[in-house]
Amino acid sequence: MSGSSSSTSPPTLASINDVSALFQTAKKYEELNVIGTGAYGTVYKARDLHNGGQIVAMKKVKVALTEDGIPLSTLREIALLRQLEAYRHPNIVRLLDVCHGGQSLERESQLVLFLVFEHVEQDLESYLKRAPGPLSENRIRSMSYDILSGTDFLHSHRIVHRDLKPHNLLVTSSGRVKLADFGLAKTYDTDMKLTSVVVTLWYRPPEVLLGVSYNTAVDVWSCACVLAQLHTRTPLLPGSCDSEQLHCIFRLIGRPPRHEWPENVSIMADSFPDYPPQDLANVLPRIHPQALDLIKGMLVFDPAKRLTALDCLEHPYFTDEPLT
Amino acid sequence: MPYWYYDKKDLQNTPSFRDGILNETENRYRKEGARFIIDTGSKMDLGYNTVATGVVYFHRFYMFHSFRTFPRYITACCCLFLAGKVEETPKKCKDIIKVAKSLLTEQKFNTFGDDPKEEVMTLERILLQTIKFDLQVEHPYGYLLKYAKCLKGEKVKLQKMVQMAWTFVNDSLCTTLCLQWEPEVIAVALMFLAGKLSKFEVVDWNGRTSKHNAWWDMFVEDISMDLLEDICHQVLDLYSPPTQLSGAESPPPQLGNKTVPKNEKPSVTPPTSASPVTVAKAVVTPVKNGSDAKLEPPKIDMRFTYPGYAPIPPYPSIYSAPPPAIPPPTRLPLPPGPPLSLYAEPPPSTRFPPVNVPPPNYFPPMPTRGPMPPRGPIPPGPPPPRPYYPPP
Repeated sequence: MSGSSSSTSPPTLASINDVSALFQTAKKYEELNVIGTGAYGTVYKARDLHNGGQIVAMKKVKVALTEDGIPLSTLREIALLRQLEAYRHPNIVRLLDVCHGGQSLERESQLVLFLVFEHVEQDLESYLKRAPGPLSENRIRSMSYDILSGTDFLHSHRIVHRDLKPHNLLVTSSGRVKLADFGLAKTYDTDMKLTSVVVTLWYRPPEVLLGVSYNTAVDVWSCACVLAQLHTRTPLLPGSCDSEQLHCIFRLIGRPPRHEWPENVSIMADSFPDYPPQDLANVLPRIHPQALDLIKGMLVFDPAKRLTALDCLEHPYFTDEPLT
Repeated sequence: MPYWYYDKKDLQNTPSFRDGILNETENRYRKEGARFIIDTGSKMDLGYNTVATGVVYFHRFYMFHSFRTFPRYITACCCLFLAGKVEETPKKCKDIIKVAKSLLTEQKFNTFGDDPKEEVMTLERILLQTIKFDLQVEHPYGYLLKYAKCLKGEKVKLQKMVQMAWTFVNDSLCTTLCLQWEPEVIAVALMFLAGKLSKFEVVDWNGRTSKHNAWWDMFVEDISMDLLEDICHQVLDLYSPPTQLSGAESPPPQLGNKTVPKNEKPSVTPPTSASPVTVAKAVVTPVKNGSDAKLEPPKIDMRFTYPGYAPIPPYPSIYSAPPPAIPPPTRLPLPPGPPLSLYAEPPPSTRFPPVNVPPPNYFPPMPTRGPMPPRGPIPPGPPPPRPYYPPP
């Protein structure tokens, strides 16, 4: 926008610039410290200056502007996140506000977006690390239910989380679990992956590791890994790289029969030893038999044969006795 | 989360009003901006959802900014541009500007500045911030279809009523109703109005229980007759002349050089005049001008003259596309979401029904809205003469 426009058009128009500047400087949030740096941006702890100094978590996302402004995919994803918020699902982190910090000074083709979420003190990763001993059976069951019901909620709105892991699961002071960090997959894809950040593979299902198309079933696999971890407080499948991760998986569930091996995959089934399936009960000792049955139904190689999140919620593990 | 509904006091004390613009003038700007979005959208073959979303953005935007600061036509373009992206019917910015230019006088187009595209781009960010990235907007159309499916009665009359209500919903975009009431409420009210005017009385409906006094009790709780009538009158006011025509040209300096004949020939009733000729031809049972004399009592010309400044043009076909069971003309864009066909199966219910339908506490409680101005019941024909809203 040029200042010269004011010479030919009514003077009122030039003020668009001023208002824009006003927006960028109007301080609504005071950044306190960095909570974490994810693969796609930084999350800050901040104070909401307009709401009694409430503490919030601000996620900073950089969006590449296109010839026609903000990309459609980003707008769609934000619209969906906003829409989801109307349901106030108890297992989904609250999205309080969305704002932008204007065009970044260094790069004109880039817009900085801030997604403002409720601040939850800890994530499941640190919760499990800090736990003095095994979690109680009730606690495990209610946390498992929370995770699956948040996942089912996303799936019912056609959102695939794609990256469920303890780090993305927030634990409130009352012990409820909330899902975070979803719904911006396309925004991320179009832009700015911070390659230096190591992405954990431990919760990735085989179809993602093999690079075939995937659907909501990926989240059920990840949930299973997390649920198992609630019992043992150690990761179930701690692979160190893509192929190591697949070996880990097949050592546990056995190498799938050839007819289940997906087509159009560059890796051959034969490149893995013919691992026999292990009994999950040995890996998860002293586990509630219903919990074991549930996790078994989720750790299935073929995504189509895996339980859905809704199936999981209706599993006897949750329905036999009421959740407390 | 932002709350987008205002009471009438808020709607009078707007940023434009505080900036010295009369309410009446602001209402005209809103109407012209909305109409311009509808016209531009229709010329670009955008669907009614995209157009309606753009108009809602427009109305919300001016709850935070003055028409003096942001000229209405460029804001309107930006709203349509953003709505296109959000509704996944994107149009190139430069194409929207091209169409806008063709629809506007040179003087009005000059408010777009030297680099219109760059202005719209800048405005997009201001718009996003102003509407707080709350991009997904619901409209009465879907509810209208959903409600109609439950009503029992003569098919032809029902269709006629739905078509008329659809047209009223289109027209309601030119009012601030979307800033006052949820789309469910507007859908009920305008179906109620269309029912009155087309003499389609709903006596029975699917899902009726002894608790229901009227069909809409099934969908919206606590909707009073006063409220229904207030909403209907706000739409009907679009078709009545303003009390004064002078002093209207305050802030955005240009009043197109298009001179509008002050006493253009009076129009017909709102529903019928707005009824699209093209669709009326394509549809087997058209709600066509004058096709039903009962819709146009003789006195109607007196009541429904358009304001001198802006005759409401007939709708382009896509906007008036009624939702009838008759297959629409092929070029009609199908609405995303609910099926067009009146008698089709209802869409599968989601496992998580929106919390706001039906509402526990979602609708603002009636009593706090302040008393409704007393008004007589809506007669089965055109309403009696009454002062232009807002009342003094």
